[in-house]
Amino acid sequence: MLSVKGLKANVGDKEILKGLDLEIAPGEVHAIMGPNGAGKSTLSHVLSGREGYEVTAGSATFLGQDLLALAPEERAQIGLFLAFQYPVELPGVNNTYFLKAALNSLRKARGEPELDAVSFLRLIKEKLKILDLDDALLKRAVNAGFSGGEKKRNEIFQMALLEPRLAILDETDSGLDIDALRVVADGVNALRSPERSMIVVTHYQRLLDYIQPDYVHVLAKGRIIRSGGKELALELEEKGYGWIDSEGQAA
Amino acid sequence: MSDEAFTGFAGWLAEPSDPPVEGRPDWLEAQCSLARERLAGLDVPNSKTESWRYTSLKGLMEQDFARAGENMTALQSDDLEEVLIPGLDAYRILLVNGRYLPELSAHEDLPSGVRVAGLRDLIANEPDLLRTHLNAVAPPDSQPLFAALNTAGMDDGLVLFVARGVVLERPIELIHLSVGLDEPRVAQPRHLVVLEDGAQATLVERYVSLGDSIYCTNSVLELALGRDALLKHDRIQMESPNAFHITGLYLTQSANSHYQGVNIGLGASWSRTDLNCRFQGEHAECDLQGLYLAGDRQLMDYHLDVLHSLPNCSSRETFKGILYGRGRAVFDGRVFVAPQAQKTDAAMSNRNLLLSEQSEVDTKPQLEISADDVKCSHGTTVGQIEPEMLFYLRSRGIGASLARRMLCLGFADEVVQRLSSDALRDHVSEQVGQRLESAPMD
Repeated sequence: MLSVKGLKANVGDKEILKGLDLEIAPGEVHAIMGPNGAGKSTLSHVLSGREGYEVTAGSATFLGQDLLALAPEERAQIGLFLAFQYPVELPGVNNTYFLKAALNSLRKARGEPELDAVSFLRLIKEKLKILDLDDALLKRAVNAGFSGGEKKRNEIFQMALLEPRLAILDETDSGLDIDALRVVADGVNALRSPERSMIVVTHYQRLLDYIQPDYVHVLAKGRIIRSGGKELALELEEKGYGWIDSEGQAA
Repeated sequence: MSDEAFTGFAGWLAEPSDPPVEGRPDWLEAQCSLARERLAGLDVPNSKTESWRYTSLKGLMEQDFARAGENMTALQSDDLEEVLIPGLDAYRILLVNGRYLPELSAHEDLPSGVRVAGLRDLIANEPDLLRTHLNAVAPPDSQPLFAALNTAGMDDGLVLFVARGVVLERPIELIHLSVGLDEPRVAQPRHLVVLEDGAQATLVERYVSLGDSIYCTNSVLELALGRDALLKHDRIQMESPNAFHITGLYLTQSANSHYQGVNIGLGASWSRTDLNCRFQGEHAECDLQGLYLAGDRQLMDYHLDVLHSLPNCSSRETFKGILYGRGRAVFDGRVFVAPQAQKTDAAMSNRNLLLSEQSEVDTKPQLEISADDVKCSHGTTVGQIEPEMLFYLRSRGIGASLARRMLCLGFADEVVQRLSSDALRDHVSEQVGQRLESAPMD
């Protein structure tokens, strides 16, 4: 589904990703862990098409398409979704209007008819249940004045609505207390399916207690230096990144 | 008076010699002739005139205007359909090219204590009704150029009286419709709104056109609010893209009165709006909001003048602008707090979104405070669409141009929400969206 090969990317003159490889098959959940500054967010941003990064080498193929050649909206239209680490507040942009514009943009790009207001609201109600989200949030401006937990839940809610093929969860656990974390993880788990893959980017092992990955990768200094099953996350938790870092360099 | 020669404003200024109008009472004729005399002594402002520093009058002065005035009786109700706002339930007053058109107005069944009439009719038939307030809110001896021109050529407009304690639930919609004629015309509507003590009303004032002809509207409004009165006033300027539009709004507020004005500027190639507020009693509140869009060959110029001369009044000046293409805007807001005006609460802000390199805004908020126990603030911003916000929308599959439009509408929303009804909010959002859709975004 996603194949990343030898990906190198710069921010300004600084090389952040230094030859990254990653293969993800349908239905798989991959955790990407790593210390601060390892390049975790850069990977999320480069894959989703955010400006400010220069890809200097390598490739990323998603569902047979050259992902890096596509505009951000085109990536979303073929099924990529980024749950933001810091969801952006959009004052004055009504949440329901935003969700409808997003869903209908995707449908239009796929040649499907746009949903009318009634079908859309029915769909929304159905998806709200998954996230235990207060529908009052739908009447407000996107993320404006939302609490940290509400913002993250709103991200997963969008994911539930837009039904991506591949979701990148960028530090979705950051800033969440344990209860909020559980709600978000339950939402994510409800969206797991044999056709949908996920990349769970996180600093801490904690999130992986709730979202169990099929694979764990350790990202350090712009490269994946170690891959394994979910037990790798527990090992990391126990020994810290220092362990893998020194070992990785020694190897 | 529609037959006489009129060679644009420049010609009129050179020779301001309108003859007395028959049937006008002496007191009114004296006021109009005072304005005419004043005009003779007023220079045409140029770039050295502080209040016209950023706005050139050249295009307006060079235009060869004829005077508008004759009734547009050929207009049919079908012609009106395209300018009506769906779902807006209101008493309707229609002015066409400056003249009140009772046939196509609809204000039957007004509650008792509410009077709606054409200025021309009242001058001819019941001039005494006008004597207290006409030319009193904006006295001719201190009117600036365009207001003085309006007074000198006073012809027709809306007169609205709401008697003491009367609460008018249904809005009054004033539509000023400009219909293109063979030659460019200037219409000078003159409106007078008086709310007596405790009266409440909503006025929706719209400037619209059929076609995209060249013309000029030079309007003056005098608004007098009694004690505890409340006026909600939505103003939507959607003139033809080739029109010149001038508004001089003069407001006096008695104690405890509330004024909520929302100024939407979307049309005309050249537009100048002066909003003037004077407090005549304590604990009055004046809220001036604005939203303007300016694209190619468009200028939007707003001047605010709020004078806090008494204690305990509050004012808000919140203006937002969206500029694209080669659009230009001017915001010059002045709030003056006199030494005796303690406990004044004033906050002014002007925020602008520039969507192109060629667009430009000159913004000048001024607070002049001579009292020491006041709460006053002002702020101004000029910026672009946040790349973060744009990326967020695009990452959800929304194309760049729709995403930009959504963010612009979001920016505008704070002001749009202040309009008095959902019908107006929808109308303005739709109009803003349409203009942005056809606007070059880079």
